[in-house]
Amino acid sequence: MADWRDLAQIALNGLFAGSMLMLPAIGFTCIFAVLRYPNFAVAGFATVGAFAGWLANAQFGLPAALALLAAFLAAGAIGLLAEELALKPLRPAGPLTVAIASVALTILLENMVRFAFGNDLRGYDLPILRDWRFDGIRVSPQQVENSLYAGAATASLFALLAFTRLGRAMRAVADNPTLADIKGVDPDRIARVTVFIGAGLAGFGGMLIGLDTSIDPLTGFRVVLSVFAAAVVGGLGSIPGAALGAMVVGVGEELAGVVLEPAYRTVTAFLAILLVLMFRPSGLLGARN
Amino acid sequence: MMSAGIFSQVRLLHRRRDALRCTIHEGDKIMSFTTTRRAALVGTASLFAIGGRAMAQAAPITFGALPPLTGAGGPYGPAMLRAIQGVVAEANEAGGVRGRPIRLVFEDDQTNPDAGVRGARKLIDVDRVQALMGTWASSVTTGVAPLCWENRVPLFTVSGADSITLLPHQGYIFRTQPNSRLQIATGADYLIRQGARRVFHLAAQSPFAQSSQDTLVEKFRAAGGQVAGYIVYERDKTAFRSEVDQLLRARPDTVFLNGYLPDVTILLRELFRAGFEGRRFTPAYAVNANTFATLPNEVTNGVITWQPSPDEASPAFTRLKTRFGATEVDPYSAQTHDHATLAILAAAQALAGGAVPDAQLGTAIRDNVRRISQGSGESVSSVAAGLAAINAGRAVNFDGASGPVSFDERGDIQGTKFRYEQADGGRFRLLELI
Repeated sequence: MADWRDLAQIALNGLFAGSMLMLPAIGFTCIFAVLRYPNFAVAGFATVGAFAGWLANAQFGLPAALALLAAFLAAGAIGLLAEELALKPLRPAGPLTVAIASVALTILLENMVRFAFGNDLRGYDLPILRDWRFDGIRVSPQQVENSLYAGAATASLFALLAFTRLGRAMRAVADNPTLADIKGVDPDRIARVTVFIGAGLAGFGGMLIGLDTSIDPLTGFRVVLSVFAAAVVGGLGSIPGAALGAMVVGVGEELAGVVLEPAYRTVTAFLAILLVLMFRPSGLLGARN
Repeated sequence: MMSAGIFSQVRLLHRRRDALRCTIHEGDKIMSFTTTRRAALVGTASLFAIGGRAMAQAAPITFGALPPLTGAGGPYGPAMLRAIQGVVAEANEAGGVRGRPIRLVFEDDQTNPDAGVRGARKLIDVDRVQALMGTWASSVTTGVAPLCWENRVPLFTVSGADSITLLPHQGYIFRTQPNSRLQIATGADYLIRQGARRVFHLAAQSPFAQSSQDTLVEKFRAAGGQVAGYIVYERDKTAFRSEVDQLLRARPDTVFLNGYLPDVTILLRELFRAGFEGRRFTPAYAVNANTFATLPNEVTNGVITWQPSPDEASPAFTRLKTRFGATEVDPYSAQTHDHATLAILAAAQALAGGAVPDAQLGTAIRDNVRRISQGSGESVSSVAAGLAAINAGRAVNFDGASGPVSFDERGDIQGTKFRYEQADGGRFRLLELI
């Protein structure tokens, strides 16, 4: 590991891995910010998005960018439906109950996908390109493209929050629901919009993961721990925090490979959660509490 | 409400299973094999005509089959049983063993050790079988094996776990499936023959990762090569870029992808992207037709797979194939075909030397399996030919549908054929069957 190129390669791999985690983590943190419960069903939404995108791309022949839009819309719609039917009635019972129900929901969604599509692996209808090489450092064109998609989605979300009336209302509800209500913002409507956007982003991210690898009903479930870690590290409820947290977890998992056997790589996600909860419970960019 | 629904579903499942059993039992009667206890009572008078010919008035020799008719092995069990039934029918048509008909009793092990042990108890204690055959799952075989050696009943199995023949079975276990060590060793030999000298071992986290690595190191060292790197990766990862980076740094001429379908699919993609030009070698269960649907051909072209294979060119396999008609002969039914033949010929060989009390017949079968399956005797490929030769006092060497069926001192199969195939344009091309 003496060569600087090796470290650069690892950092680069980590950043790409982080950009894959970023959107589901942002979706997770959005929902947490407004509804104040951890929605682990983002794993299910990511899988739903990945399969919706697959249908659009491999079955209907849409290009990747349009298929990503389909992934966003399908996962958002399923997320909203699940929220209204399953999770919303449980809200009065407290966040823990809803969180547990969301775990059940992700299992349900995963198995519905399994029922419809089977357990087989599926790949998108895209050419697989050879890596570019810069002075011995490998860069995959697909990963660069994916990072651009992820960046574009994140930028759109920031623009929505910063420059639109809806975005301001969302921030207001996240900040203080009672005050927002007094000011005439309908918290129920904002909650629905947030769940739609959050689940949609998870689906978008799920398809990005699939573009880089292949998809099966466990696509979302495999990354849910890292996604959760990213949101916690960044500070639950903080959107820039989730983006930063995803990068930290992504690079951390790759760096861990240097000192640990690859088989133990997942431990880094747990370690990240542990360290943050011990030393900075509000997360890197979290302000609340 | 909800729990009532679940219960009724469970009941429905039970009913379905019972229905399945009934059908099979009915089929059994049609084939004129007596089922279970009744046969013990009928004694001599009503010994059923088998294949239209009345049997000699002698007590039958009873064998037990314990295939997985339901559960995870369900896709294989019924055909495994059918292969055994075919051999028994053929033996009975040929006059049985020294005039004694063969009676076959079977139970469903449900691919479940608990049900397997119950079934084995019933077969051994009630039906008093002289040999047991056709256990499939390693967990079932592991549970059933002690009952067999305690009761001096030979057990013929298709389970692959290394640990099974390491049990203190006193020679009562015969395994027709190559164990995982033999599979890896055979694969390593192939690679060495192909000129591989620097192999990189990428293994999914599994119970056989380390034992595979030990075998590879041993084989490559002996051939003057080396295992240039070894990574145990976590199967549930979605990206393996760092692992592939490590692999490229080691500059191997061959990568051994010792994983399962999902992770090997991702690895093949990443190896392609990384421009890896060396040999890619993987077990046949890790790359299949589904891989071709997932990955473009340019990514999969050239991947070499290997797997233990029935001896498809053998006369025994050809006849089994004819008997099965439209049903494909899978490796397991080829093996159970050989189980039944081995047990019957070993019993014939044991009885050729004079009468053996039934209580000692199991042990006598154990002691005679190697005499009829290996050595310099007349090569026979069917139970009828084997019985005729033994009756005529000639030594035989049975070559089965699964292969030449020779066993080492631990009861592990030797000399199984392996099938090497190469992905080419979205399909497999046979390279070698040796």
